[in-house]
Amino acid sequence: MHRLIKILRRFEGGVGVLAFIFIALGLYGGLIASPPDYYQGEVVRIMYIHVPFAKGALLAYTTLFIGSVFYLWKRDPVVDNFCHAAAGIGVFMTAVALLTGSIWAKPTWNTWWTWDPRLVSFAILLLILIGYLMLRTLVEDKQKEAVYGAVLAIIGFVDLPIVYFSVEWWRSLHQPMSISTRGVSIAPGMLTPLLLMSIGISFLFTYMVMIRTQMLYLRHLLGAKRGGLISEVDLS
Amino acid sequence: MPFFNVIKWIVWKDILCEMRNRENIASIFFFALNVILIFSFSFAMDRDVTQAIIPGLIWVSFGFASMLGLGKSFLSETYNDCLSYLQMAPVPKGAIYLGKLLGNLLVMVVVELFLVPLFIIFFNLNILDKLLPFLLILIFATLGICAVGTLFSALTVQTRAREVLFPLLLLPLEAPVFISAIEATAGAFRGDPIALYQHWIELLMIFDLVFIIVSYWMFEFILDA
Repeated sequence: MHRLIKILRRFEGGVGVLAFIFIALGLYGGLIASPPDYYQGEVVRIMYIHVPFAKGALLAYTTLFIGSVFYLWKRDPVVDNFCHAAAGIGVFMTAVALLTGSIWAKPTWNTWWTWDPRLVSFAILLLILIGYLMLRTLVEDKQKEAVYGAVLAIIGFVDLPIVYFSVEWWRSLHQPMSISTRGVSIAPGMLTPLLLMSIGISFLFTYMVMIRTQMLYLRHLLGAKRGGLISEVDLS
Repeated sequence: MPFFNVIKWIVWKDILCEMRNRENIASIFFFALNVILIFSFSFAMDRDVTQAIIPGLIWVSFGFASMLGLGKSFLSETYNDCLSYLQMAPVPKGAIYLGKLLGNLLVMVVVELFLVPLFIIFFNLNILDKLLPFLLILIFATLGICAVGTLFSALTVQTRAREVLFPLLLLPLEAPVFISAIEATAGAFRGDPIALYQHWIELLMIFDLVFIIVSYWMFEFILDA
């Protein structure tokens, strides 16, 4: 069995338990123990879902980028399975962040959507990740699929900061941003659950990637076995 | 073969192919023309509206037209297995990329230069004295579109559903090019002093530089895959 898969198998249970504990504590802290916001009232509680998932989405894409560079360097198929897994879960995290953000924006900013740099960057991030997954399904050859995916991931990662700055300039020149995402200094009673949730979602991401990588790896092996490339022994 | 000779021959080959069948140039040109027509039906084109939307209109039509042309850039290499010969050629792979990029840039700029007078005629634009900054924007923005477009053309040419995939991958990545090109063009057409929209041109230049370097490096992986 591949070395990386062995490591994943050994630690997946522990990471899953950690994710469960942190998310449970974070949800208790965020939904029950923490005070409602002075301005936003109970609405603020969606923050404990939204912010961690947005962080998770960025974590997913950073993971995908580092994995892609590593794949182009070492050409290890399991690293490619890992990238593929990170991208799929990245789509989930990005979509949740956008969706919860939109729901949060309606009562606080009185709009579902605004052309704010972060929002646009996340929308483009989602499009790139979906494009990545689509590209992978449309390439016949396994090796080509992996290389093309890695190249797209790297190009997209380089693009995101440029997108962010261009949208920031674009908006700031048209009108002063009516809704600023200024860094609100946050009360400690809210910071603790937010941190717990962020750590929990990061563990959840890691756990999901670990499971999905193994799944893709097994699927890969199964394909190779059907093609007669490996024997029964390698699959055990 | 020295680096620059490779670039020269690839560009020469592409231009020769283009001059012999003119398929690509013609399809880009007429597609852009159609986009212009459809747009002018969609808006009531009085003076104020034209003033407000013309920069966006120009870049939407150029952008969509480039999808058509750039997507085909590597398609011609699949006939007669030319792609394998490019892969096997004992030359720096990055030079092949730069050659294809220059070829695409030339085709796109030529088409755009034919389209600009049509814009002026159709929309009664009064921009003859503002053409110089506009040409500058046009070249840098087209270079940005072509830099990523050439790479993605090589990337998608061996995939299924190539025609759909190419714009799907390319358009989101080129958001900064479109934003900067449209903002800079608007500034130029308003007759603003260049200092007011200079930062957009600088952003275009940064985008071009970053993506030519990254694509130059990535192209080798795509061709060798």
